Amino acid sequence: MRVDGVSLAFGGVKVLTSVSFEMAKGSIVSVIGPNGAGKTSLVNCINGFYRPQNGTILFNDRDLTRLPSHRIAKLGIGRTFQQIELYTGLTTVGNLLAGRHMLMSSGMVSAAVFFGRTMREEVTHRRAVEEIIDLLEMEQIRDEVVGNLSYGLRKRVELGRALAIEPTLLVLDEPMAGMNVEEKEDMVRFILDIHELRGTSILLIEHDMGVVMDISDTVVVLDFGIKIAEGSPIEVAKNPAVIKAYLGGN
Amino acid sequence: MDTLPKLLLENYRKLGDEKIAMRRKTLGLWHEYTWKENYEYVKYFTYGLMHLGLEPGHKVAIIGENDPEWYWAEYASQAVRAIPFGIFVDAHHDELKYYLEHSECAFVVAHDQEQVDKILGLIETLPHIKKVIYWDPKGLWNHEDEHIVYFYDVVELGKEYERNHSGRFEEMVEGIQGDDIAVFCYTSGTTGSPKAAMLTHTGLVETARNWFAVDPWYPTDQYLSYLPPAWAAEQFLGITAGLISQITVNFPEKAETVQENMREIGPDIIFYSSRLWESTASLVQAKIADTIAIKRWLYSLFMPVGYRAADCRFNHESVGFHWKVLNFVGEWMLFRPLRDKIGMRDLRYGYSSGAAISPEMIRFFHAMGVNLKVLYGLSETGINVVGYDDDFSPDVTGKALPNSAIDITEEGEIIIKSKSMLKGYYKNEEAFREKVHDGWFHTGDYGYIDEHERLTVIDRIEDMRELRSGSKFSPQFTEIRLRFSPYIRDAMAIGGVDRDYVTAMINIDFENVGKWAEARHIAYTTFLDLSQKPAVYDLILEHIQRVNRIVPEGARIRKFVNLHKEFDADEAELTRSRKIRRSFVEDRYRSLIDALYSDKQQEAIEAPITYRDGRTGTIKTDVTIKSVPETSTPDQVKERRG
Repeated sequence: MRVDGVSLAFGGVKVLTSVSFEMAKGSIVSVIGPNGAGKTSLVNCINGFYRPQNGTILFNDRDLTRLPSHRIAKLGIGRTFQQIELYTGLTTVGNLLAGRHMLMSSGMVSAAVFFGRTMREEVTHRRAVEEIIDLLEMEQIRDEVVGNLSYGLRKRVELGRALAIEPTLLVLDEPMAGMNVEEKEDMVRFILDIHELRGTSILLIEHDMGVVMDISDTVVVLDFGIKIAEGSPIEVAKNPAVIKAYLGGN
Repeated sequence: MDTLPKLLLENYRKLGDEKIAMRRKTLGLWHEYTWKENYEYVKYFTYGLMHLGLEPGHKVAIIGENDPEWYWAEYASQAVRAIPFGIFVDAHHDELKYYLEHSECAFVVAHDQEQVDKILGLIETLPHIKKVIYWDPKGLWNHEDEHIVYFYDVVELGKEYERNHSGRFEEMVEGIQGDDIAVFCYTSGTTGSPKAAMLTHTGLVETARNWFAVDPWYPTDQYLSYLPPAWAAEQFLGITAGLISQITVNFPEKAETVQENMREIGPDIIFYSSRLWESTASLVQAKIADTIAIKRWLYSLFMPVGYRAADCRFNHESVGFHWKVLNFVGEWMLFRPLRDKIGMRDLRYGYSSGAAISPEMIRFFHAMGVNLKVLYGLSETGINVVGYDDDFSPDVTGKALPNSAIDITEEGEIIIKSKSMLKGYYKNEEAFREKVHDGWFHTGDYGYIDEHERLTVIDRIEDMRELRSGSKFSPQFTEIRLRFSPYIRDAMAIGGVDRDYVTAMINIDFENVGKWAEARHIAYTTFLDLSQKPAVYDLILEHIQRVNRIVPEGARIRKFVNLHKEFDADEAELTRSRKIRRSFVEDRYRSLIDALYSDKQQEAIEAPITYRDGRTGTIKTDVTIKSVPETSTPDQVKERRG
């Protein structure tokens, strides 16, 4: 994926100013920056919630900036949200199946009869969902209504839902916010497992520097909508501009 | 048929692909393995291991949750006359190192990445290890270490090996003798380093056969494999008795999903640790407290009926027509649905082993129609004592199985003679000579036998205390009764000649007390905070007073403290089977215990703690010490009433 000169403004407020970076297939890229740096806005541009005024976002040579969100999802970009966005009344399985909705093809009539092709399709999807449940160790909450789950587990279901569309690029918006050490460790393990098993590229927004430094191939630093640094975790950590943005001072 | 691989071969020849030997849940579905598949996996895995260099006499460590692969790895090792042994999955670094070093282990069959990582961290120091074989590939897809191999790749190797060695498996199996060592069982080690008891095929098979003379199992039975196979009990039952009786062994999806899986299986036979029975009882009580009024009403109406019917059965009395009718109605209105919820609707035998279990717990389950039995035995002697269906009482442990003799020494120690006795301890003959005299194994447990030849096991002798009054005091006796409360997860009772009275340290049950507090609008943050709430102290006090009414006068608890944290096996306060390591705990909480015997109302605690991620820290806080007012026993009340 290539983000090229993306600028976004709401009225007079410049949110992103000519942000560019590249992401190789199968890599883990983290976007970091202080609060209000424009990280989530950047992600919202990638999956079509916001329309940048300038610049292009190329994913497998297709420009995403003018596509509606559901088309972008179809291209293979899955995402999770900072605020959990699940069907709280559905079970874990229900939420994951809903995530696979766009991959389903049978029509209303054949679905009503539930025979032959539709049944086979349902079985395939259910199996795919079960594989996600296995991968993310959600067996014990398979049939639990999501609204009753703890925060950490809901975050996990959300990750599962994003995985359900079989993305080649997974965008994770602060997947570890508000988690305790143990839950964070689990989440990191799941992210690495997904990356290793499915070769999924991962774009990660995260505040936990330990996690970012541990697992990223590349780190992109934003401050007030401007990219101030990009490079390997070690390079970025040494960059004076980054230190200044984070710690303030001279 | 006196060896496990022979039994397996026999079952395959007799039952082939007609009968299901094992079922396990993966990806949300139950997968079945017939006896033919069971046999084939064992055969190919055996060949694969031979191809990798397994030889007779080698030791094979198996570490993982209950899964068919666990069983297969054991049978396969035995087929080569190598010796398998199990390790608990939560064994930490040093424990693991001890087992692997002590046994000079050649192959490790490990469950998943977690176990493999632990072993790879040690492998430099363990030159004996040739290969580490894993059966759950998750997270190990792209490994590059030359030591590790995927279980099913070994099976493939085995298929290749068979092309040049057809029939070799059967030949080898014929050559195994009953007297050969089948398995090592490491003793849990409340004292000293674990010792490896060497059990023979004959020992395993004898135990199961004697067992069936009392409790027959049928090929149509469903068994839930849940106890860790590293534990001797599962070796005797799931692994050996399962082969002999040709039952279907079911493996739950995950340890956390057992409750759900139980309902799907509807097992005829289960084997829980006493802890798990306790938590099941707590679950039932907590759910009832949480449910709608009509169900609570049904529960309070019919449970006494169930209790009465159970007590009459225990005492061989007729329950009377009216009560019989009531009990029948209760069965349909309450007991059956209740049992169904916990997956025990059709349960014929529910066994409990491990630590002791309180009579109240046994009565509770019998009242709702669950045939809960206690069994007693040791890794070293097999299972020797069980409750007989027709002669059962919640206060006694049970009677000796056929071919097991039990007796009591003058000091009150239980001694056992049986055909399933161990052959010795590996590399430790001295310990064997210490434990076995004239063929009697000295258990180190204190107990007595009544006039009906029924054994009651009280406690470990080393844990028995004499009170100032001269009477014997068993901390465990008090503790298991405390644990019957859904609000008390763990407890340690303290007392002895040098103490004026008995005191207790309590671990509250965070979940149940938490729910209780929420229902009463008591705000709390952490375990520590909740445990120190005055209202929680009152709640615990109420339950301690209840226990005080049933224990002998001198053993009544006079003061107690709610601990700021739970006892933790990772901090060596408990053994892996969750028994309290008394002397260690007493040492660790020395100042707190001293405070329990002084006039202090508060005591400052500074305890090192190990977080789940391995970091260590210290907790500094004050805990409250509460006195227990005198309670009157029912007898005294009667006296007073005149």
